[in-house]
Amino acid sequence: MNEGKGRFDIMELIKKVLFTDFVKGLVITFGYNVSMDSVITVKYPDEEKWIPYRRFRGLHTLNRTADGRELCVACELCSKACPTRCITVIPMEDNTGRGISDRVAKVWKVDLVRCLFCGYCEDACPTRAVRLGREYELACFDRNCAVKNREELLRPQPVPEEMSGGVVAKARLRTTPDGIEVVADLSETRKRRV
Amino acid sequence: MGLQPINPYKRYIMVTVKINGKEITVEDNTLILDAARDAGYEIPTFCYQADLMGIGSCRMCLVEIEGQKKLQPSCVTPVLHGISILTETPTVMSARASMLEFLLANHAMDCPVCDKGGECELQDMVYKYGPHKGRHAEPKFKFHEKDYALSPVIIKNSNRCVQCMKCVRVCREVVGRNVLGALGRGDHQEPTSFFRSFLDCDADGNCIEVCPVGCFMRLPYRYKTRPWDLKGADTICPYCATGCRMVIEHRDGEVIRARAQLGVGMNSETLCARGRFGYEIINSEARLTTPLVRRQRHGTLEPATWEEAFRIIKERMPSLGGNTVGGIAGARLATEELYLFQKLMREVFKTPNVDSGSRWDAAAVEGFIAATDMAEGGVSVFDCMEADTVFVIGSQVSEENPVTEYIIRRISAGRRMNVIIAGPRAMKLDSSANLLLRHYPAAEAALLSAVILDINAAKLAASADLTAAKDAKLDGHLKAAGLTIDDVRALATKLRNSESIAIMAGTEFLRYPHGIESLNLLKELLRSLGKKVRVMPLLDRSNQRGAWEMGVHPAFGPGYVKAPAPGLGISGMLDAAADNSMDALYIAGADPAALYPDEAHVKEALSKVRFLVVQDIFLTETARLADVVLPGASFAEKDGMLTNQEGRAQIIRKLLPPPGKAKVDLDIIRALGEMYDRSFGPKNAALVLDEIRRAQPMYADVSLAFNNKRNVDNKLDNKAALVKGTKAALTIRKFEQAASGQDAQYPFMLATGNHLFHSGRLTNYSKTLNDLMKGMTVEISEEDALASGLAAGERVLVSGAGFSVTLMLTVKKGTKRGVAFIAENFDAAPVNRFFRKGKGAPRVKITKA
Ligand code: SF4
Ligand code: SF4
Ligand code: SF4
Ligand code: SF4
Ligand code: SF4
Ligand code: FES
Repeated sequence: MNEGKGRFDIMELIKKVLFTDFVKGLVITFGYNVSMDSVITVKYPDEEKWIPYRRFRGLHTLNRTADGRELCVACELCSKACPTRCITVIPMEDNTGRGISDRVAKVWKVDLVRCLFCGYCEDACPTRAVRLGREYELACFDRNCAVKNREELLRPQPVPEEMSGGVVAKARLRTTPDGIEVVADLSETRKRRV
Repeated sequence: MGLQPINPYKRYIMVTVKINGKEITVEDNTLILDAARDAGYEIPTFCYQADLMGIGSCRMCLVEIEGQKKLQPSCVTPVLHGISILTETPTVMSARASMLEFLLANHAMDCPVCDKGGECELQDMVYKYGPHKGRHAEPKFKFHEKDYALSPVIIKNSNRCVQCMKCVRVCREVVGRNVLGALGRGDHQEPTSFFRSFLDCDADGNCIEVCPVGCFMRLPYRYKTRPWDLKGADTICPYCATGCRMVIEHRDGEVIRARAQLGVGMNSETLCARGRFGYEIINSEARLTTPLVRRQRHGTLEPATWEEAFRIIKERMPSLGGNTVGGIAGARLATEELYLFQKLMREVFKTPNVDSGSRWDAAAVEGFIAATDMAEGGVSVFDCMEADTVFVIGSQVSEENPVTEYIIRRISAGRRMNVIIAGPRAMKLDSSANLLLRHYPAAEAALLSAVILDINAAKLAASADLTAAKDAKLDGHLKAAGLTIDDVRALATKLRNSESIAIMAGTEFLRYPHGIESLNLLKELLRSLGKKVRVMPLLDRSNQRGAWEMGVHPAFGPGYVKAPAPGLGISGMLDAAADNSMDALYIAGADPAALYPDEAHVKEALSKVRFLVVQDIFLTETARLADVVLPGASFAEKDGMLTNQEGRAQIIRKLLPPPGKAKVDLDIIRALGEMYDRSFGPKNAALVLDEIRRAQPMYADVSLAFNNKRNVDNKLDNKAALVKGTKAALTIRKFEQAASGQDAQYPFMLATGNHLFHSGRLTNYSKTLNDLMKGMTVEISEEDALASGLAAGERVLVSGAGFSVTLMLTVKKGTKRGVAFIAENFDAAPVNRFFRKGKGAPRVKITKA
């Protein structure tokens, strides 16, 4: 046991003297630089953007039927199921065909500062109206902008449902009066290297 | 067995049964359901409700009886001595699950949309007992696609119905409107109005409350919230002296529902339209939210701070005011507030001039209290309903105290008893009566005198002279009342043949006080004949009795203790004001300008008061005349107590803060007092109640704990809440019958009172209640309408001496001929303009407009 230990220590010493670990590390680092095939860095946000898989849990989206009617019937189950009580739903009656039933949401808002992105709301929803979408650029300058309301959430998210995701798309930065936006070009994507 | 008979007229036979192996002894004829619940076993039900007739239709309550093959519905099967009942066997459980599966087969299952979701009995049952998977794959049967409105307050979705028929039964057996029925058969049976047409009903929403599912729903509450988002306060309805318990609920500060609770309060699940839909006044835009002051003599009322308002009061309202200062408190304030109000007037302003309410003469009130035995403590309406005969006189109970009326209807239908109704107007309760006496307005005295003479006839018969005198007198009375001798004999016979009698005396006696003496006389006479007589007042303001018991009256202080020097009542104060000798008047929660009978006089008098302070929640007719207006709190914004007409002291609870700068009335009264005397108090409602309890034997046992706990077997009568009796020396003054101000060229006598949908002017601020009516109405009998060529729905001109108004005509079958009724609740038709101070019932004529 003692002998073994002694031998081990000598090996360690030799490794240290010859900078073996350091060289190994550098080989990997330089390896990435030499061959483009093994670069895993995504040039986000200037040139590329990660498009997550469907299972991703990002910003909520409120869905519509194929003919454009709101699926949400303002049943408030999502807000009841939410562990952080961050969804507020106030129903109202509407007979104009806005929703799939005459009960629609007057108010539907979620406070992202509190949201855990647990997806309970999605599970509770009887009409599959609310889904956690694939938007993840949620940083903003004050807390009010972290409260997303119905109008905003009903706008289709940039990544369509059909797209299975898990790719890196070409992107560019766009400056808008509200700040900077990363616009992805979903037609030009590449697999992520691992 | 050591069992004491509770009711000596009833024989109790006890039987022993076994429930799930547990042996219990119950009264014979008890339902298996009640016995099981007594023994502590829960049995699910849909169609059973303690106060409705059992129909055994839903089969949720099936139980197994040992030795019987078929399961039995426990809600209609009475126990038999020695049987053994099983409520939790696999057979029973699977029967329950199957019943639920059948109910769900055609059920809409649209819980996410349904307003009942979250508090639905069907959801709860399926969750607890039901199959959690359905096998029914066929398309579901649908009654209709869209929900349809049955009335301005009811919306219906029959696809969710479980056919329990509670709605139909409550409407027939309790409310007595009988406008619902079932169309179709089997699971295609749809309880609805006839041919689904729009209902013209009492809009009380009791059908909504009893419906276990989302079939009958509140229209004003439609799609506003889920029940779990509501915050509620268990409180008392402020709109009449029945004193119904209800829960008012708000979401985000807006009250959106009032509901009654099964087995809680004397009303259980029932309310009337005012109680159930009158909550809108709380959030009304018209609420006063800041003090108002009149800075120049004839200027307008302008917003001010509390400091400024109080400063002006202090400058202009003399303490030690003595006889030139007066106070009038409304009978809607809480008991604590009323107590403090009279204390403020008597101890700070040193004035004996205090009164409550706007309409009744103080001496009449004193007489009425004596005649109805109020000082002898509370009398439960349920005790009254145990009498052989119930005699309702001087009240339009169906409109003024609807839930009292439900109780009378429900109990009288279930036992052999007489219900006698005397009054000029036909009303819904007439159908429960076995004797109706239709007399002229203000003729209660004549009717009662006639019946007293008839009961005494035997004594008088000894002398021919006396008999002749009696006959002459009797004829006079009969003529004055518009009755025949047969009517009076029938009444006398029924009274003579009853061992126990309950007299329910309404506010007509206060409006026309000459009847009070005869009322008292009849009571004494019946007692002298050895009968057990109970008298219960029927009042129209929620805390009228509380106000009197707190001594808001010029002749007596708290607990009916005679005041050392009686002061002026409302009439006296107004007379003094009209004479320019009122320096200051403080009116809290009362609206005499709109309600005192004789509008011209009251308005003139109030404008002559040198300094008028009005405290209210709306800018009432009276507040418009004020120099300073203080914004008070509604019933939803304070803690306190109300004493109902039976003498039940019940608690109201605070749900919301008062709007804007408004304050709780108790705090305003106390702050006013402190301005003159730092030590004025007690400082909060609980301490005031303590002081009341200490000082007043009547209220010594009153408790802040809620009166009734929830129960399932309808034991709704909580005697502990009734106030105790006291010794009081009240006098019944003799009032002469005042002649009508107008002569015979006006063919109709005018009667007034509260409309079914309104209570004073307060409910005018509820949009839902206002929308229930197409317009203000005048009501006459069918015969009169026919004779004068008028039809219901027509616009007619009602004119009295010096005032006329255009109203819509309604026609009622069974109302006394020559009687017209206009409710006192409408701003645009102030009925007090027809009245003249010191005169009897006014007369009017009605012509096509
Ligand atoms: S994801 Fe979770 S925390 Fe966020 S809103 Fe939904 S339920 Fe609430
Ligand atoms: S999103 Fe779904 S769960 Fe939430 S209120 Fe709408 S329908 Fe109900
Ligand atoms: S609201 Fe009342 S009167 Fe109208 S249908 Fe319902 S129970 Fe009957
Ligand atoms: S409407 Fe409601 S109360 Fe009436 S039978 Fe159907 S479930 Fe019962
Ligand atoms: S107004 Fe009277 S009868 Fe109607 S709910 Fe209120 S207390 Fe009950
Ligand atoms: S509760 Fe017994 S049959 Fe409905």
